[in-house]
Amino acid sequence: MDTAPNSRITERTEVLSGQEYVMNTIIQFLSKAEKIDSCGDYNASSLIFGVEEYKKLLSDIKAKGIKLRYITDITKDNIHYCKELLKFAKEIRHLGGIKTNFSVSETEYIASASIQQQKENQQQQQQEQPIPQVIYSNAKDLVEQQKYVFESFWSKALPSDQRFREIEEGLEAEVFEVLTNSEKLSQVLLDLARSAEKEVLIHLPNDRSMMRLERLGVIDDIIETSKKDAVVKILCPLSKENLHVVKKISDNAPTIEILNGNNSPYGMYIVDGERFLRAELKEPKAENFSEAIGRAVYSNSKRSAESFKSIFELLWNERTLNEELKRADKMQKEFINVASHELRTPTQAILSYSELLQKHPERKEEMIQALSRNAGRLQRLTDDILDVTRIESETLMLKIEPLDIGGLISNIIEDYRNQIEKNNDNVKLYYYHEPKTNDSKIIVEADRARLIQVISNLLDNAIKFTKNQDNSGGSIYVTAEKKTTENGNKRQEVILSIKDTGKGIDSEIMPRLFTKFATKSGTGTGLGLFICKSIIEVHGGKIWAENNADSNGATFTFSLPISQQQEQERLSSSKLTSEKRGM
Amino acid sequence: MSNESRILLVDDEPDIALAFKIGLEDNGFNVDAFDNPSKALSNFKAGLYDLLLLDIKMPKMNGIEVYQQMKEIDKKVKVCFITASEMHYYEEIRKEIFPILGVKRLIRKPIRIDDLVKDLRDELQ
Repeated sequence: MDTAPNSRITERTEVLSGQEYVMNTIIQFLSKAEKIDSCGDYNASSLIFGVEEYKKLLSDIKAKGIKLRYITDITKDNIHYCKELLKFAKEIRHLGGIKTNFSVSETEYIASASIQQQKENQQQQQQEQPIPQVIYSNAKDLVEQQKYVFESFWSKALPSDQRFREIEEGLEAEVFEVLTNSEKLSQVLLDLARSAEKEVLIHLPNDRSMMRLERLGVIDDIIETSKKDAVVKILCPLSKENLHVVKKISDNAPTIEILNGNNSPYGMYIVDGERFLRAELKEPKAENFSEAIGRAVYSNSKRSAESFKSIFELLWNERTLNEELKRADKMQKEFINVASHELRTPTQAILSYSELLQKHPERKEEMIQALSRNAGRLQRLTDDILDVTRIESETLMLKIEPLDIGGLISNIIEDYRNQIEKNNDNVKLYYYHEPKTNDSKIIVEADRARLIQVISNLLDNAIKFTKNQDNSGGSIYVTAEKKTTENGNKRQEVILSIKDTGKGIDSEIMPRLFTKFATKSGTGTGLGLFICKSIIEVHGGKIWAENNADSNGATFTFSLPISQQQEQERLSSSKLTSEKRGM
Repeated sequence: MSNESRILLVDDEPDIALAFKIGLEDNGFNVDAFDNPSKALSNFKAGLYDLLLLDIKMPKMNGIEVYQQMKEIDKKVKVCFITASEMHYYEEIRKEIFPILGVKRLIRKPIRIDDLVKDLRDELQ
């Protein structure tokens, strides 16, 4: 049968190698096309402009009026090629990560067969090489399939001008990904955890979630992140079950903040205020993260991340406030209990001895002593409670006068030595005064009664924890010395320290030693040191405490500024002496 | 009967321990008083006392622990607890632990000697 050569096209699909064949195939392909849909990876645009022959082809496309639609991965490295390409193409769109290189016209399909090799060559030679091998087909079904593939890509791809803007304004492409594959979800969470640099906010739906994160390895990542000075906050229902994880975190990364939260059907993981994962809890009791989690959304949308962050902050603040209220409430109850116990104990003694005194005139002296002792105790407690009230309402009144603190201490020490002797307490009290000369007094502007109160309180404590410590007895060393501090302007101060050889300060109580109700001794209200601190601070001084380096006993120290007037007098008198000397 | 009852009194406040001892002895009780719970425990023997009068809040060992250990030694000994703390502070202990230990009475300080005597006599009956 005689047939015109072009009326029935033979379908063929073949692989063509060699630059010449490849080039001819491309030229043939272009010559028949009116419309071309093309995809290229992120290298393709630079390749087109890097090879002279290809550049010429572009001009042909334009000259022939071929409608070219092009999809590629537009990055900040190839953006200028893509813009150049726009001069020849009808429209370009961006599809992140696209890895295929093909073109399809009305009737034909052509694709690069070897993109990988091309990339490697390019890296080695730093020069664009033409495609060495192409696949060509005019098989109708194949062409239709490829058209369909292109259309699917096209519909998902982003218009080039939008992508250009993103790159030029430094915006990341926003991704909202709904994840249902649990394995992928675990990976996304791990990647998210590892990517954190500045901030990690985690809201966990139940106590077991924390254990699941531990199993997944996320807790280790968080610990590492916190070591980079990142802020890490975890809001999670806390229970006996996850206590070991909490302990691991606080042992290894003490800066990580953990708060007890409520159970919730969702978990949130927000990183650097920019990326987040929000996942639904499907199986609250599951062992592993992948089993526990339902649907999740991952996004790098900054705006959404910020709104989730503000939700997190709201929850966090609410819990913080709640904890503070609970603590304040507990403190209040604790105070009422301690105060009532301490008030009723001497009251009981006074009540009983006043009853017994009538029936036992023969024990009159002993009972009157007990009465007096307990009345004194009641008085001290009343004073302490009133002092605390004054301190807290800022109505503590001071009667400030210049006084010699060295002399004051000497008198107090004398009283205490007598008392120790009278009580037969197994403790020795030493006092060192610097400088030793009698005429150089240390004058401070202070309330005499309040200073006596502080020093007595510190000495009472020292004696209480030192006497009868062991058979050899204990010692208390009091020292007072002048010092010049160099912060900003020179300031003269007196440093008074009371060192004992007692049992030292309990490590549990150390961090809140100077706060209210800090007591470990079983007796006492725990108000004394709080009052001391307040008194010293209103005098412009500081108070602190430490266990002795030789792990034997504790040292309490306070500083007070030395009266400016005394300093000036001292300076002018020394000036006078030197002037006299110079005469 | 109750006038010959033997009482073991433990209170860490020496003034109170002594006052109660004198007051109870005036009322015909036979009283041993300790201000140190450990000493009271090491002197304790089965059948020595009819009733224990124990302060609750004491350093090192509280009254409830003292009672538990004494009850191991003497199953029949009766007990009254006494405290200067707020009653609600021991609410849980009263509701949950006292019934298990068979404790019925918690006396509140301050108390007059006559009232204390009355409470102890009630407990001994």
